[in-house]
Amino acid sequence: MSLTAWVRRARTPEPAPVRREIAVFEPADLFDIDIKDDPEASPVLCCTDDPAGAAAFNALWLKRIATSGRYAAAVSVRGQGGTPAAEGGVEAFTHDVVQAAVTVPRQAVLIGHREGAAWAALAAGRYPAAGLVLVSPQRFPKQPPKPVGGPPILLVVSESEAQSKEAQAVTEAYGTAPLTFAGSPDEVFKGAAAEGILDAVLSWLDGKK
Amino acid sequence: MQEYSSQAAYDRGEAVCVIGAGASGLIAVKNLRENGFEVDCYERDTVLGGLWNPQNQHSPLYPNTHLVTSRSQTEIPDFPMPDDWPDYPSAAQMLEYLTAYAKHFGLSEHIWYGSEISQIDTVEGSRFEVVVKPAAGSAARRLRYGAVIIATGHHWAPNLPAYPGQEDFRGTVLHSSQLKDASRLRGKQVLVVGGGNSGVDIACEAAVNAAGCVHSVRRDTPHLPKYLGGEPTDFALARIGGRPKFLRRFLTDRLLKGPGRLAARMGIEAPGPGSAGEEPVRNGRYLEHVGDGSIRRRGDIARFDGFDVTFADGTEMRPDLVVLATGYAPKITLVKPKLLGVEGDSPYPKLYARMFSPRAETLAVAGLVEPGVGVLPIVHWQTHAIAHWLHVRKGDPERAANFRRQVVAESDQYEVESGGASPRHRLAVDAEEYLASLGRIIDILEQEPAK
Repeated sequence: MSLTAWVRRARTPEPAPVRREIAVFEPADLFDIDIKDDPEASPVLCCTDDPAGAAAFNALWLKRIATSGRYAAAVSVRGQGGTPAAEGGVEAFTHDVVQAAVTVPRQAVLIGHREGAAWAALAAGRYPAAGLVLVSPQRFPKQPPKPVGGPPILLVVSESEAQSKEAQAVTEAYGTAPLTFAGSPDEVFKGAAAEGILDAVLSWLDGKK
Repeated sequence: MQEYSSQAAYDRGEAVCVIGAGASGLIAVKNLRENGFEVDCYERDTVLGGLWNPQNQHSPLYPNTHLVTSRSQTEIPDFPMPDDWPDYPSAAQMLEYLTAYAKHFGLSEHIWYGSEISQIDTVEGSRFEVVVKPAAGSAARRLRYGAVIIATGHHWAPNLPAYPGQEDFRGTVLHSSQLKDASRLRGKQVLVVGGGNSGVDIACEAAVNAAGCVHSVRRDTPHLPKYLGGEPTDFALARIGGRPKFLRRFLTDRLLKGPGRLAARMGIEAPGPGSAGEEPVRNGRYLEHVGDGSIRRRGDIARFDGFDVTFADGTEMRPDLVVLATGYAPKITLVKPKLLGVEGDSPYPKLYARMFSPRAETLAVAGLVEPGVGVLPIVHWQTHAIAHWLHVRKGDPERAANFRRQVVAESDQYEVESGGASPRHRLAVDAEEYLASLGRIIDILEQEPAK
């Protein structure tokens, strides 16, 4: 985050506070003695533009991430799931993601899905994320801010999207090659494609530790 | 001769030594680590949070201490405070916030508590040998570091005035830092001395708790309420700073007209805040307490006389309790004064860009400024710059030399002309100019080296 960007933000009225719904799954919640909470592993915070918000990750993602020993959380930004709607566009959604990130006990990896990827990328411009994972990004900012603290960045897109303008723009902005998965971009939360994505993301995260 | 546990100093290589685990120290540790440095942080007390932690045995907190700058202007830029907190968080919330910050970024494992630094010496040119004295038992250790950042703050050494007859005074005299509990004020005739933020806050506490409150101020300072135009004052004023230049003056004057007239009505004749550069007092309740008579303002104290206190205007009172809210003197005794540019009779350091030692390239001080806005963001950008500087210095001596010249040039720009004699104004900078200057310094340091 540049100093000028911060000065500008500090002079802009903050989005109205809302009571955010945050779904949390910790390794200890699994009641499985084989799964050890790994204190070294960064927690994970997910967001998506799906109207269900955090609940969308309940089906598979949170449990699966917790199984890998990580603290897993997902946030519903204003207007999604259990979070009341409030004024403010992308700026307010980004604010919600940052506010959720600082409530996670340790420096978190941000995972954003579709438009959520854009919010996660904007949030990483003002919060030093431990990692940034962009899944099928949509409506991505043309010039995303430089992520604070230089976190590792992963771009995950479906095969059909690999050549899309969005994917190429993100690749260009961060200089990361996309990781592609077979299947439809709508099968991110459930099904075989989802399992594949999660395995890829988690093994990438383990490699970056 | 001092006893050392071993003869040779333990060499920590390029690691950086941060002194103090208060707000500034924690931010320094986090930003240095983010930039790839190994860090050892030494804290003389056994808790983190510095002045915000009431368990710190030197804590300067007084009853009901709150921030005088609003949340959005005070929070660390990359770790915002929860947005459901009030505009002006309390000291307890500040401690909660700093504790969360330390936990979130895993800072505690780099902090050595109960370790006082007893000596710092330059060795091998730009490196430092640090003598660490653990509070309990064991002998001092000597370690060598590539750089030292002093983040000990400047609210530790009470600035105590001496009035004629004070030693024979029969009532109780306390410094504001010794007043831990508002119940000590209850039912007493209280005299509060000092017109800074702490003096005004304590006078307000006494106004509602004590039997009577007299507030002695040596000179008038500008007063600001905590809200202006429906917004936190510092936010409202900062927003004007973003407007076109020709409008700023007009908008500022319009915003400050009401509070200025109220202060004048209460007999406070001070130039409006912002014009003379003097840091205003920020308290919305004080003038109302003066207005309803629960605080009576007096001038300077002339002398103490047995049970009585006589003021410069000849009036007298008989206080049970005198609270000296006379602030703190900046005092850094860790390093040789010359290293911090302390020269002549003035005890105040003269640092390049208010953070770099003029004598030693790898010695810096974080948070030794009074910017009139929240200090945490300033320290964030300072330590950001320091970390970048240490990188540049290591990797590219030519750029480092250029940068050094640049910093000297920057340093001359934001000295605030201070008419006041109060010690903290010697550390004052104009926030807007200082931030702009920090921005330029960071830009120079972040530029790609010319190939």
